[in-house]
Amino acid sequence: MSSRPDRAKGRQSKRHKHIGSQDELSSKKFYATGGEEDEEELLVFTEEQDEEGGDDGKKRDFSKLDLKLDHVNRPMWVCADGRIFLETFSQLYKQAYDFLIAIAEPVCRPESLHEYNLTPHSLYAAVSVGLETETIITVLDRLSKTKLSNDIVDFIRASTLNYGKVKLVLKKNRYFVESPFPEVLQSLLRDDVVARARITLNQADMGLNFSVSKGPSEGGEAHQEFLAEDDLAAVTEEKEVHSFEIDPAQVEHVKQRCLPSALNYPMLEEYDFRNDTVNPDLNIELKPQAQPRPYQEKSLSKMFGNGRARSGIIVLPCGAGKSLVGVSAACRIRKSVLCLATNAVSVDQWAFQFKLWSTVRDDQICRFTSDSKERFRGNAGVVVATYNMVAFGGKRSEESEKIIEEIRNREWGLLLMDEVHVVPAHMFRKVISITKSHCKLGLTATLVREDERITDLNFLIGPKLYEANWLDLVKQGFIANVQCAEVWCPMTKEFFAEYVKKDNARRRQGLYVMNPNKFRACEFLLRFHEQQRGDKIIVFSDNLFALREYATKLRKPCIYGATSHQERTHILNAFKHNPQVNTVFLSKVGDNSIDIPEANVIIQISSHAGSRRQEAQRLGRILRAKGKPKDRGPGGAEEFNAFFYSLVSTDTQEMYFSTKRQQFLIDQGYSFKVLTSIPPADTGPELSYFNKNDQLDLLTKVLNAGDEAGGIEQLEEDVDDITQLKARRTIGSMSAMSGAHGMVYMEYSTGRGQGSGQGKLKKRDPNKPRHALFKKRAKNARYGEFDCNIRCSMKGALVDLVH
Amino acid sequence: MVNAIKGCYIECDIPMAQLIVHMNESMPNAHKFIIHVLDETRLFVQENAVDMIRKKIHEFCDSNTFEKPSA
Repeated sequence: MSSRPDRAKGRQSKRHKHIGSQDELSSKKFYATGGEEDEEELLVFTEEQDEEGGDDGKKRDFSKLDLKLDHVNRPMWVCADGRIFLETFSQLYKQAYDFLIAIAEPVCRPESLHEYNLTPHSLYAAVSVGLETETIITVLDRLSKTKLSNDIVDFIRASTLNYGKVKLVLKKNRYFVESPFPEVLQSLLRDDVVARARITLNQADMGLNFSVSKGPSEGGEAHQEFLAEDDLAAVTEEKEVHSFEIDPAQVEHVKQRCLPSALNYPMLEEYDFRNDTVNPDLNIELKPQAQPRPYQEKSLSKMFGNGRARSGIIVLPCGAGKSLVGVSAACRIRKSVLCLATNAVSVDQWAFQFKLWSTVRDDQICRFTSDSKERFRGNAGVVVATYNMVAFGGKRSEESEKIIEEIRNREWGLLLMDEVHVVPAHMFRKVISITKSHCKLGLTATLVREDERITDLNFLIGPKLYEANWLDLVKQGFIANVQCAEVWCPMTKEFFAEYVKKDNARRRQGLYVMNPNKFRACEFLLRFHEQQRGDKIIVFSDNLFALREYATKLRKPCIYGATSHQERTHILNAFKHNPQVNTVFLSKVGDNSIDIPEANVIIQISSHAGSRRQEAQRLGRILRAKGKPKDRGPGGAEEFNAFFYSLVSTDTQEMYFSTKRQQFLIDQGYSFKVLTSIPPADTGPELSYFNKNDQLDLLTKVLNAGDEAGGIEQLEEDVDDITQLKARRTIGSMSAMSGAHGMVYMEYSTGRGQGSGQGKLKKRDPNKPRHALFKKRAKNARYGEFDCNIRCSMKGALVDLVH
Repeated sequence: MVNAIKGCYIECDIPMAQLIVHMNESMPNAHKFIIHVLDETRLFVQENAVDMIRKKIHEFCDSNTFEKPSA
């Protein structure tokens, strides 16, 4: 039944939640294809279409597609609107997957049937890794069960027409614009900007002659195995390449002229590092024990496909070894490397990874953060810095000014950028314009942003070179097999009664996070995993009030923004080595930067609204493979070796956020199991908040905590922290959003408009004589003196937060 | 003398009962519809309010449900 592509779409657009065994049921349905029934199925399906007819029919009618005779052996459905469905149980799945991931954007990848989408961007990426228009069309046609419709062929032709025709190559420190098509270069040179940037040796040469050389050949890419012999010969044949040189100072302008908005010949950037004799070599190699895994090899082969280094982005799940890919790339290029990370902790981790995997000497690597400013000596080396330190626009200390000057003046062989998804585009532009790099490699696990600014990366760094399939890595045992669960905790009567009250709007978060039933569920899970399985557990809470309440009540250590570095290290060490400390509570400081490979259980009690990225990053904390390889994966000693629980208070906003957050992981093929009976009904006073009185005490506490309970942590401790900037821009405390305390303050300061410079407002001592000015103001003010004072004293402490 | 009032008997879970109680409280006196709160999960209300209650509960549930936007 389910061989219909549109069926799969319908399934995907619904909520992807399976309760218990329904999951198995629906995936079994999909296995029913493949067999001989297909013919019959198709008949049924066309009939159905006739019956339905109507406006819906147009979109869903695929009966016009010609089914090829041997369709059973072919793995994909290619629809006219650019959607592609791939059967993962097909024998050709592996080859087809490698090919598809190069040309199309994955939309949803559950167990049996994947959905992909052909977009201009994905085709741009395909061309940039060396695939040609005709190759794309032939292979797609060969893999498809149906004949390719003309729409698709036209679409591919149109999208790839101009992509990849022009390359910007840095050779011996001279920039060349290269193309196998002289007519393209001619049309480029007709443009004023490009023509002016051109460097010619003599005036006579000003014509349209280009230097011609033998181009490098493509090779070693997996999908080419699939191209039958005849095609292969054509692809690997050497081609003539035409080129002209341009002025290094004009490179940025030329690149911009070539973007789709102007000349529409986007340039691919490649770095011929083997022939670069100007920049000194960095003598590093991978250590013998560093064995890149197959998918790491594959992503590197996309980057170094033709012996040159391409700029682009590699997407691998957290814990799948992104840093090894980065270090390997650096070891292949063997030139100076500038590595950028989001904060000081990951800078330390990158420096450590470089030392761990490569033969880099201690004096060749240095860190540049607000705390440690190491100058590096010698002519080549590795510098690890934070984005903020490099992009910072204000005044710097003399010491860091010198270092930044060195970074600016140097030519970098490789610019390695970690967690590219978190950095705002303008900061990227700045970093990229400051640093001269031959090749840029971006690494990330989650190429999603709630503000959809991902597409900028395509042009700032380069196309997506490779994206791994999470479930495949789980099957092969490279990342942990995680059981995801959403635990539904009903609100108690009293908490819900407060929740629905209008004037409690800003305490809502506090109320649903502190829901006693949720607390009991959390306590139950902690006990179960600590005592019965001996697991190591991380509890995440974005809400600081809840974090502290939970941690104190359960007597567990907690780490949040204000925790000192020393205390953090102490707690984390205890967590790693002390068998008595099995649980740690983390605020969102733990989302990205804290590396705790020991943990295998996550319990999430509160989160940053509907952020898909946070959910994925948090899951990433436990993805590092656990246990012995043979026990992992389906059929091993234990099917699941890591657990991800999201505790959700039912009938509240949290349900909405929770479903939204899960979307990214669901698209990666994870399914969330809903648990409704945690803790089990028969648990009594052994868990906290069993008595109504205790619950009421807690309620009073939450209500009195006021703004704090609804507040979200603002990370202030780390100047380098980019997530902090993002958080500031997008969220504020609930009361600030409602405008409540801001209003009170504004009212008070309107008189003379001097409010901006003021810091904390002091509570006025009513016994002191007032200054004449204040007396006059009080007269003018709309509120009476008494009223005014009360308000100020109540809100005084919060005022500086607002401004 | 026995007084009989015709009404509708509602049984629901604890939070929904609270939501209905809250609706009732936010109404002006003339429009209050709960005749009697029997216990945590059971209410006795005026019959003409039932449609309104149903509608409001639907709205409330919808606001807490995420629908994946179709591309």
